[in-house]
Amino acid sequence: MIRTDLFNIANSGVTASSKLLNTTSNNIANVNTEGYVRERTVFESTILGGVGKGTTERVISIFAQNQLRRDITSVGELETFVEKTNSLDNLLASEANSIADGLSQFFAAIQTASDDPTNLASREAVLGKASGLLSRMSTLSDFMEAKEEELNLEFTSQIERANSLIASIGELNTAVLTARGGSGEEPGALLNERDKAINELAELMSVEVRENQYGSVVVNLSSGESLVLEDGSFNLFELGNDADLTFKELQLTTNFANKQNTAINVNEKDLGGSLGGLFRFRDEILGPAQRDIGQMALAMADAVNQQNRLGMDLDLQLGGDIFSMPEFTGLPFSGTPDNLPVRAQVTAGQGNQLTDADYKITVDAVNGAGFPTSVTVELLNGDGTPKKDASGADVVFTGISVGAGFNELPGGIEVEFQAATGYSVDNEFLIQPSKYAASDLTLATDRPEDLAFAAPLRAEASLSNLGDATVSKVSISNTTVDAALGAEASAFDGAGGIHSAASAPGGTVGAPAQIVFTSASDFQVLDDAGNVITNVSGVTSFDNLLAQAEANGTGPAWPAAFSALDDYPGYDVSLSGIPVAGDSFNLTYNTDGIADNTNAEEMAALQRESLVQLSSDSSNKQRTFHDAYSSLVGRVGEKSATAQISLDAAEAMKVQSENWFDSTSGVSLDEEAANLVRYQQSYAAAARILTTAQELFDTILSAAR
Amino acid sequence: MRISTNQIYDQNIRAIMDNQKGLADTQEALATGKKLNRPSDDPVGAAKVIRITEQLDKLTQYQRNNDLLTNALEQQEAVLTNINDSLNRARTLVVQAGSGIMTDEDKRAIGVELEQIRNEVFDLMNTQDAAGNYIFAGYQSQQQAFTFNPAATGNAIFYTGDSGATSVKLSDSVTVQRSTSGQEVFENVLSRFDFTVTGSAGATVQTAKVGEQGTFDQFYENNYDPVTAANNNYQLTVLGTGQVQLTNTGTGAVEGTVDFTSGEPFTIKGMAFTLDGTTGDTVNFSLDTPVKKNVAETLNDIANQLINDSLSGDALTDALGDALVGLDNGMERINLERSSLGGRMNVAESIYETNLDLEITAKDARAQIEETDYAEASAEFAKQEAALSAALATFPKVSNLTLFNYIS
Repeated sequence: MIRTDLFNIANSGVTASSKLLNTTSNNIANVNTEGYVRERTVFESTILGGVGKGTTERVISIFAQNQLRRDITSVGELETFVEKTNSLDNLLASEANSIADGLSQFFAAIQTASDDPTNLASREAVLGKASGLLSRMSTLSDFMEAKEEELNLEFTSQIERANSLIASIGELNTAVLTARGGSGEEPGALLNERDKAINELAELMSVEVRENQYGSVVVNLSSGESLVLEDGSFNLFELGNDADLTFKELQLTTNFANKQNTAINVNEKDLGGSLGGLFRFRDEILGPAQRDIGQMALAMADAVNQQNRLGMDLDLQLGGDIFSMPEFTGLPFSGTPDNLPVRAQVTAGQGNQLTDADYKITVDAVNGAGFPTSVTVELLNGDGTPKKDASGADVVFTGISVGAGFNELPGGIEVEFQAATGYSVDNEFLIQPSKYAASDLTLATDRPEDLAFAAPLRAEASLSNLGDATVSKVSISNTTVDAALGAEASAFDGAGGIHSAASAPGGTVGAPAQIVFTSASDFQVLDDAGNVITNVSGVTSFDNLLAQAEANGTGPAWPAAFSALDDYPGYDVSLSGIPVAGDSFNLTYNTDGIADNTNAEEMAALQRESLVQLSSDSSNKQRTFHDAYSSLVGRVGEKSATAQISLDAAEAMKVQSENWFDSTSGVSLDEEAANLVRYQQSYAAAARILTTAQELFDTILSAAR
Repeated sequence: MRISTNQIYDQNIRAIMDNQKGLADTQEALATGKKLNRPSDDPVGAAKVIRITEQLDKLTQYQRNNDLLTNALEQQEAVLTNINDSLNRARTLVVQAGSGIMTDEDKRAIGVELEQIRNEVFDLMNTQDAAGNYIFAGYQSQQQAFTFNPAATGNAIFYTGDSGATSVKLSDSVTVQRSTSGQEVFENVLSRFDFTVTGSAGATVQTAKVGEQGTFDQFYENNYDPVTAANNNYQLTVLGTGQVQLTNTGTGAVEGTVDFTSGEPFTIKGMAFTLDGTTGDTVNFSLDTPVKKNVAETLNDIANQLINDSLSGDALTDALGDALVGLDNGMERINLERSSLGGRMNVAESIYETNLDLEITAKDARAQIEETDYAEASAEFAKQEAALSAALATFPKVSNLTLFNYIS
């Protein structure tokens, strides 16, 4: 009995040692294999003597693994976010692209030109700096547009990667179940593969993993949606979009072979991982920055255009536009037919009302012919969520009645429904005025003469005046030429003059052309033919005489036909000094007045005026161009800096959990070296038992001979 | 704690990478001289730097405006000083012409010299700047400011510009007038106030002229009515009490009485009369409408009169009086403008200084935010260098320590 046992014991010992050596060698061989978890073989002694069958299992702490996976997710998210944000951060840091510099140079050029308004070279410089400013703006805007395209490609590739990982986790699940069922041994390689795939998926998005008693795992998004089920079936991601084709949204679809598949939208905000980082970058940095630049560009262009319109150019004509404003196309939301053209533009003079919002226009009511009569306007953020006002309510304007042509909407834009018919209630359109505007702005003129530096009207004290009153200010507020005398008409006739009685509203008196004092505190306003427009008495201030005439004129009163228009005549005059009876002041078109720099000074002063709406709410007060730009730079820098700090923290966390995980599951060569020696010895010892048994057997044999 | 082999390597590589990144950042700060190389380095600072840079750019432009303005003002001052000198010379000549010992030839010679001075002054009034703009033409700077047409009825030298004045911004809050129109400087000069006898009843007017110009000017300024012409008509009535009474025929107001003896001169409100008349006789006169004449026109008038007309007596005195008052009023306007120019230049200079101070402050503030503190950065660099060398030196030692080296 004992002899046989010795052989068995020796045999089991040699087998066990060789298995141990095997495991150790495997550990040493896989020291550099990514995702490898060190293994150890454990034995039990048997009652019959010898060592029992050993089992090899991975040395792993499930808690360390989960912690590591969470840290991988947050590092993945922040790494992507920081990398993307840094690219914008670096672009904004470049002085060659600085919009602030471009603005300063543009306004400085206007000031220089205003010092000598007849100098064509300095006028050329203004246009040159204007186009320089536009190219700085479009460099930034184009860069961001390219980033957006790049993002969409990255979404696609990351989603493909996620889908293939999800599929392989599903397949590995099945394989693990099969392997377990076959040998009962833990299939270490398969488990390592699966853990590696899960960790890679965790780098892309935040996932929760649960392992069941049979060794297969369930993988969910942290927000709850299932990705991989226990039996190995799985769901896949895909990209969709609504009105804005470039604005991708993430969806999860079922993957049944023979059944109807369904898709649900996934909230990108809670996604986490590098995919979540990409979405966060788009929604928090890229979208708002694109719109801020666009909003600023539109506000600047509109303000300069309006000021130029209030002046007279070197050709002695009323000024026109310097920048041509882009037109925006209304994008139909899903469910709205795409054959209903809608377009919008910035309402002239309302650039300072424009916000960085997208506008969602919903048709409330249509007339019998199928043309909208009333709409609702919602202001949206770039990521499609509603803008909030100061009290936290959505910014929505309801019941705005519309008709043919352009209809002014709140928030500085006007919209036109271009089809004559075919609209129906609940048609929805998206208008994005600011998203690409900075790329779409162009110069409307390349003629330096078109810069309207002079005021179109001059007021002159008559040479025979005896008082010491002089003209202190001629203010121009409206130069719209409209022979049909619509509501916006001004007194300028567009042909180098102001309205005489025949062409003025009402037709009885012309636009104010002369102010005659009948005493130091009474004056008359007359037209160019000497007809009395009105008389004003008891004047205490000589500021804005025409406004006083409109308010206080008697016998005859200020013509009702003038007051009926928005801003007629569109100019006013202020005096300083004290006039005496008989003094007169003549208001004429500023013919040949090209040395006048009044309007250029006003234009240069735009630099200091608050003309850009704060982002959130159209009723907020405005700020200057430079202010708007610096807060954009500050915000991107701030986000980038904060993200960098969070990334550093997350990386430190990851190092810690990696250390935790590695100190449990990593291979230590020193340890394996010691084991190698130890198992070698136990092998030799077990083999020695065999020799001993042999010798015993031989001894018995020779004794028996 | 158990340390796996990979942990040793990872740890070392991480330490080396971290040190290298720190070194690269410090090196960039040292090389560029800026510690703020991208907005995220200091977001609030970056936004501030943009605003400070804007302010600096504006200041640079304001200083440039200031230079251009000062040039323009200096040119105007030079022109006005020249004109003033010429007018002083002309005034001396006019006074000389009044001297009784002057023959007609002498007066003609003076007239010719005055004509030359007129030409000089006229040219100066049409001064152009470097860009060819007429500096006194108001807004219509491409056209000559004053035109000379000897054949014209009325003034031969008249203003063709307008009253436009341009101004320049020297700081956010200060705007300074850059140009003054010729209308303001030259044209807005009143010629001598005078009156004209329009008729008499009974009395014979021997002389009627302004005797005391100052007193008359005051009377004129107080009483001239630009709106109702009738209020400028006056009547002298010889009273039974041996006095004459001055009455405004428009308002009926009695302006004063003065002792009167027929045939003897008397002066009332600066006006000197010699009348032959008895009680109840009247003389009517009216105040002349004020006329504005530029100095070139005044010079033109007196030169013509001295050259062409052999004036003597009252006519000469009148003409010379007109010329002297015209020149004095003209010089007064010009000197007023010169002091205004001086004032504006002072303002420009003081703003220049202020802007320089602001520029220094702003540059300082910007430097504080974005420039590298070399001492600090160098110390930091040395520290990081030491850490990196330590990491590099220890790495091979740690990694060489393996049990396999001892198993043979």
